[in-house]
Amino acid sequence: MKRKLILAGALALALSVSACGGGGTAAAGKTGGTLNLAVSQALKSWDLAEAGNGQDQEYYQPVFDSLFRLDSKGAPTANLATSWEYDKALTTLTLKLRTDVKFTDGTPLDAEAVKANLMHTKAGKGEAAALVKAISDVQAPDSSTVVVKLSTPTPSLLRSLGNVAGMIASPKSLANPQSPVGSGPYTLDISSTTAGTEYVYAVNPNYWNKDAFPFDKVDIKTISDRTALTNALLSGQLDGSSVAADRIDAVKAGGLKTDTVSPGVVEGLYIWDRKGTIVPALADARVRQALNYAFDTASIVKIAKKGLGTPTSQHFTSDSGAFVPGLDQTYKYDPAKAKALLAEAGYANGFDVVMPDISSLFPEMQAAMVEQLGNIGIRVKLDKIPFDQFMPSILAGKYAMSYFKTGGTDPWITIQLIVAKQGTWNPLHFEDPHANDLIAQISRSTGDEQTKAYQELNTYLVKQAWNAPWDVVKDTYASSKKVEVTMNPFYNAPPLYNFKPAAN
Amino acid sequence: MVVFLIRRLLAGILLVILVASATYIMLNFTGSDVARNIVGETATPEQAMAKAAELGLDRPIGVRYFDWLGTTFTGNLGKSWFNSVPVSTTLLTALPVTLSIILGALILSAMVSVVLGSIAAVRAGWLDKSIQVGAVLADSIPGFLVALILAMVVAVNLGWLPATGFVPFQRSVVEWLRSITLPSIALAFGATAATTQQLRGSMLDVLRLDFVRTLRSRGLSDRRVIFKHVLRNAAPPALTVLSLQFIGLVGGAVIVEKVFGLRGIGSIATSAAVQGDAPVVLGVVIVMVVIVVAVNLIADLAYGWLNPKVRAE
Repeated sequence: MKRKLILAGALALALSVSACGGGGTAAAGKTGGTLNLAVSQALKSWDLAEAGNGQDQEYYQPVFDSLFRLDSKGAPTANLATSWEYDKALTTLTLKLRTDVKFTDGTPLDAEAVKANLMHTKAGKGEAAALVKAISDVQAPDSSTVVVKLSTPTPSLLRSLGNVAGMIASPKSLANPQSPVGSGPYTLDISSTTAGTEYVYAVNPNYWNKDAFPFDKVDIKTISDRTALTNALLSGQLDGSSVAADRIDAVKAGGLKTDTVSPGVVEGLYIWDRKGTIVPALADARVRQALNYAFDTASIVKIAKKGLGTPTSQHFTSDSGAFVPGLDQTYKYDPAKAKALLAEAGYANGFDVVMPDISSLFPEMQAAMVEQLGNIGIRVKLDKIPFDQFMPSILAGKYAMSYFKTGGTDPWITIQLIVAKQGTWNPLHFEDPHANDLIAQISRSTGDEQTKAYQELNTYLVKQAWNAPWDVVKDTYASSKKVEVTMNPFYNAPPLYNFKPAAN
Repeated sequence: MVVFLIRRLLAGILLVILVASATYIMLNFTGSDVARNIVGETATPEQAMAKAAELGLDRPIGVRYFDWLGTTFTGNLGKSWFNSVPVSTTLLTALPVTLSIILGALILSAMVSVVLGSIAAVRAGWLDKSIQVGAVLADSIPGFLVALILAMVVAVNLGWLPATGFVPFQRSVVEWLRSITLPSIALAFGATAATTQQLRGSMLDVLRLDFVRTLRSRGLSDRRVIFKHVLRNAAPPALTVLSLQFIGLVGGAVIVEKVFGLRGIGSIATSAAVQGDAPVVLGVVIVMVVIVVAVNLIADLAYGWLNPKVRAE
């Protein structure tokens, strides 16, 4: 019996000794050690044509290099493309490429490779693909020159090419992208990777810009559960991850650093049925304005969102050229005025509306929304659908309005999402001739003239009460003291080159 | 014995077919638009319909069912509708995770319950009462709470073991053991309580039997009487409880996997069921039923080993 106890004791000791040596987080010094990150959503696909533009980018960044990098203002800076130029009509973009880059399978990264990638991505169904749909043709006059032809001027194109849509994979891997082959700073270590759980990346010894990536290894875990993610951060298993608002206090108390970033997403009540097909009242701008007056956005942000948001009345964020500061004062919380507007439009007794139930994910938002709409006489009936049906149902045009959040740091992307007739988040294809004229004006112009047109469109959308925005969402990123991280609002999470080992 | 084995195997196969068929039929009534979920939010209705046709979802349910049954019988579980990964590959990745923590929990549960059950039965008095009260308490504490406390105290505060993740056995035995220790303890908690109670009760029954008095009168030591004779005779009912616990542990693993960030059968089944990824859900169901049938068979064989009377019957 004594022998067994000794054995059990030795085993426990071995486990705890091993615990001291485990963890393998980033170390300061010449070698950066391992950078341990976590992403809450599983990787969709290694095929860039199917790629999402959100959390997928974190899995892609180690292996795929992009044509540009984006600085903290969203301006493109050189990466695989060293210079770029538009023609006067803004429909031809000429790129000059680096000439010293090879994919990890030995294929040179040249103009033909970029052409193959852009045409491949454009043909896909992913979010990244949607951002480069205006590309009509790509030409490769010589090995380091790429000419991109656009069917219509696309002000957001350079920013899109600085992200997933501009990532370049080996042309040989495009047909069957079971595992990624790129030219990025790391390669996927397939033997250490468990698909769906953990992706391990080893250094690419031939990368052209090695100094920008000081870590020897990058380990990205997929952890969807908030508790597991928080525990992994607190126990030192992770060096960085986005965290939910209700976990911020816990990670701060555990000694982790937190940074907030605003990726240009605006949440609130989105009015899908501006034509009044489902709920005729919504065709009247006065009714939509009443909806804007109905919400106490300051309290929603303070209570339901724990302060993680900036109340707003517009869809464009303060770092965007389209932002108009004074517009945020347009609809101050005023239920009496809301009721008066409804009465003026002929709806003194309010109206009934069916909205999708979002209590499984955003219970506080839903409670605030239903209560405050009820206060002005709008009776909400909640449709209990599985959450996986939430977005498909909206896209299918099932609801007149609902809670939603979308947007981007680039105002053109926001316009394409919510204003354009075929915009993804304009599911009932509402069209406004004046808004269309302003969009055309934006696409034809540059500089101050373009900014003026953006602001004019923004003002028009707010006055028309396109939606009833509540706040500009703020995301929080937590990082360990072993790393230094610089945030960039133009990426979903800090880009990989913004991570460095801490100085001491 | 051979006839017994064949009968159990045939019953097992029938059970697999029945459960999988029932699952298949139920999956068709979830109301989820799988084709739309697959092609994504930005696809047109035509693309969604084309996807439905590609998956064969536009055919009558009866045709689809027999088609699926035929393919499955050839050993082909198909591919995930969402990521095209073969179901067998997904299961081979997830099964080691879940089986590791369940096996760990069963071993822990068996070891601890033998020690506690024997002490409670033999020593009686305050020690017995304490163990009984402790078992009731342990049985009433939800597994997810134990998992949360273990993760917070042992992994986060003390830093002794990892808070999340699974390391495959073949990559590092020590790291594998470290990665499954906390999830296994969390899972074993309730199972140990029930098995301890069962073992204590059946040991008390055996201790009252004549043959025990006879063995003692022959001068055999207490330790030999208890561990060689009493425990062996008292074990079958406890083994039944333990084998039933296995099925419960599969369900409990879903929560424990979530808390420890493990991608095991539980999390695979949950996400596949939410998405409506029928091939994956059916693959999981088939594999789990096969395992449950196998565990019951092993338990039956173990009775025979423990008690020759059963073998003769």
